[in-house]
Amino acid sequence: MGIVNKVYAGVIAAGIGLSATAAFAEDIRVGITMRMVSENGQAYGRMVMDEINAINESGGIHGNMIKATLMNDECKSDKGVANANKLIFQEKIHLLIGSTCSSVSLPIVDVTAKAGVPQLVPHSTNSKITQKGSEWVFRIPVSGRYYGGVNAKYVGENIGTKIAYICAADAASVGDCANMQGQIKKRFGVEPAYVADVQEKEVDFRSHMQKIKSMNVDGIMVAALAETMARALVQSYEAGIGEDVRRIGASSASNAPVPKIAGDAVKGVFFSAAYAASDTRPIAKLFNEMVKTRYGIHAPDHDFSQAYDLVRIMEMAMKNADLKLDSGSLDADRTALRDAIASVEGYQGLASGPISFCAAATPQCRDGNRTAVLIGYTKGGENFETEVLARVTMEPDFGLE
Amino acid sequence: MGFDYNSLLAFIIFGVTIGVVYGIVALGISLIYSGLDIVHFAHGEMYMFGAFFGLVLAVDVGLPYPIALIGAMIMTAILGMFVERVFYRKLTSAGGGYTVAGMGMIICGFGMSVALVNVAYFIWGAEAEPFAVNLDYLPRLKFSGDIEVPESYFLTAIISLVMMGGLHYFLRHTRAGLAVRAVAHNKDIAYLMGINVPLMISVIFGLSCALAAGAGVLIGPMQSVQVEMGYLMLMKAFAAAVVGGFGSLPGAILGGIMVGVFENLGAAYISPSHKDIYAFLLLILVLMFKPSGLLGVEAKVKA
Repeated sequence: MGIVNKVYAGVIAAGIGLSATAAFAEDIRVGITMRMVSENGQAYGRMVMDEINAINESGGIHGNMIKATLMNDECKSDKGVANANKLIFQEKIHLLIGSTCSSVSLPIVDVTAKAGVPQLVPHSTNSKITQKGSEWVFRIPVSGRYYGGVNAKYVGENIGTKIAYICAADAASVGDCANMQGQIKKRFGVEPAYVADVQEKEVDFRSHMQKIKSMNVDGIMVAALAETMARALVQSYEAGIGEDVRRIGASSASNAPVPKIAGDAVKGVFFSAAYAASDTRPIAKLFNEMVKTRYGIHAPDHDFSQAYDLVRIMEMAMKNADLKLDSGSLDADRTALRDAIASVEGYQGLASGPISFCAAATPQCRDGNRTAVLIGYTKGGENFETEVLARVTMEPDFGLE
Repeated sequence: MGFDYNSLLAFIIFGVTIGVVYGIVALGISLIYSGLDIVHFAHGEMYMFGAFFGLVLAVDVGLPYPIALIGAMIMTAILGMFVERVFYRKLTSAGGGYTVAGMGMIICGFGMSVALVNVAYFIWGAEAEPFAVNLDYLPRLKFSGDIEVPESYFLTAIISLVMMGGLHYFLRHTRAGLAVRAVAHNKDIAYLMGINVPLMISVIFGLSCALAAGAGVLIGPMQSVQVEMGYLMLMKAFAAAVVGGFGSLPGAILGGIMVGVFENLGAAYISPSHKDIYAFLLLILVLMFKPSGLLGVEAKVKA
């Protein structure tokens, strides 16, 4: 290659580099990775994008637009990590939102920690997510350690302590089961009557239910993703286990496929979550109406409310952060955004309680919502109904001992 | 505390009810293998499509469950024959077994499996659908020791037996069945005897897919219906077919029941967390002592 050609090539390369940098400048880039394989998953993915578009239409963040890239991880950890890497290293995002599933959020924590990108977790409940010590991770939902405490207290005081557990292999369910067992043992000194670790998408629970039936337990806790949980609930009745044996769900019991698939078998099931569609606050009623009108969802679960709260918290943090948004400020902007999120205190939104963060990279600081609401199903099917049984706020270090 | 024989009985009953369903799917796999010398890896998706067809007919259209079952079997048979005619025919007519075409057919089956799953995703989405049918008019079997067999399980066992009986009658007592068996025995000789071999191959595919659909519709009310339901069933059905003897129709039924009972007993008395391992443990045990399967014929090359 001649010297003239080398000069041309250099000029062109520099031009491409500059134009790429220019395209990145001034936008606040947000990457989102979520499970969007179900009707609900796609709806709350759309809702997040719609809310971000609404911020942009009303002038953005101090005049800067938010450029969001939404990716589907299908609740698979390998896809989630690939999405996170692409968003961080190719899209050069300032903030990552994700994921819906604990088994995906857990490995992504390591990616964001290494890259120095703030991560807002929308739905994942596994306690370990914030116990990894990353200073970049913030959890919007209630941690599984709080859910375990609320469930255990209610079960032990109102139902009994002889509990059988069906625990699916996904990270959230494993955590929910372990938390509940640990709390029952700690509070009441009782070991589980029966524990079955089943596959994430198990379809046949009959042998478990037959054994549980012969044990005369007080309750059955089913910790699994929505469809698996629904199957287990139906088969528990098919095995002849009566209504007097209470069914306890993990937080995923709040997902709409559970009452839809389980039908009447969901009646009487109770669980802890971060939002109840039967919430009577005006803000909750407005939110329910909005989700129903826009996305055709009968009653939004806490996945919707948490996604909505997340966007509001993100907006607050972006407005408070001192973002430069020029070609050389990416690392500084990410740090500023992290610090702004860490300074969110007492945010009152749709969530069951106020959401607060602080600077330390500890679960006490990074599990934002400490208030769980105990919800019971009163009717199953497409048009399911729920009632709020209790609302409990836990101490920041609960479940860490 | 003594041994709980009632629970043992319950586990065996549940094992048999799920086992006959494995057996029906395995029957289809064996039928295709015996007829074409190929293993059909998209058979789990035929089971899935059958379940969805049944769901649409029973829940959306509102047909009675038995009519929906028959309708789903017919629709899936047509789908199977279409797939065979359009996508497999070139390969199946070039031979199966250890030939290049046979290997191509296996790969084509994998491809078809992926394609059908994606088509189903497009049509029905990823969410599991409840298959709610009213079976209250059926008796709930009760055994001593507080053991109850739900209506859907009872129905599954009865219909499975009827399907097996129907297939047996078709193969043994009708001219078309005789033609199918002739094609299964040797395609070239069958062709020389005046049998329309391509048509019979389509019939074999249609029958096998109809059986898979029947299994899907029977399982639907117990486990709900979803796009990814075919994979695990295919694995269990393969295990059943191999345990019983690949290509042996009675062997497929026996293998299915053995797999169902073995996995239920394993889950009950060894570890419930590893239920799916027991089917394959049984498979390994049988292959160690009788490589051709329990009712399989010890022949390396077919007639």
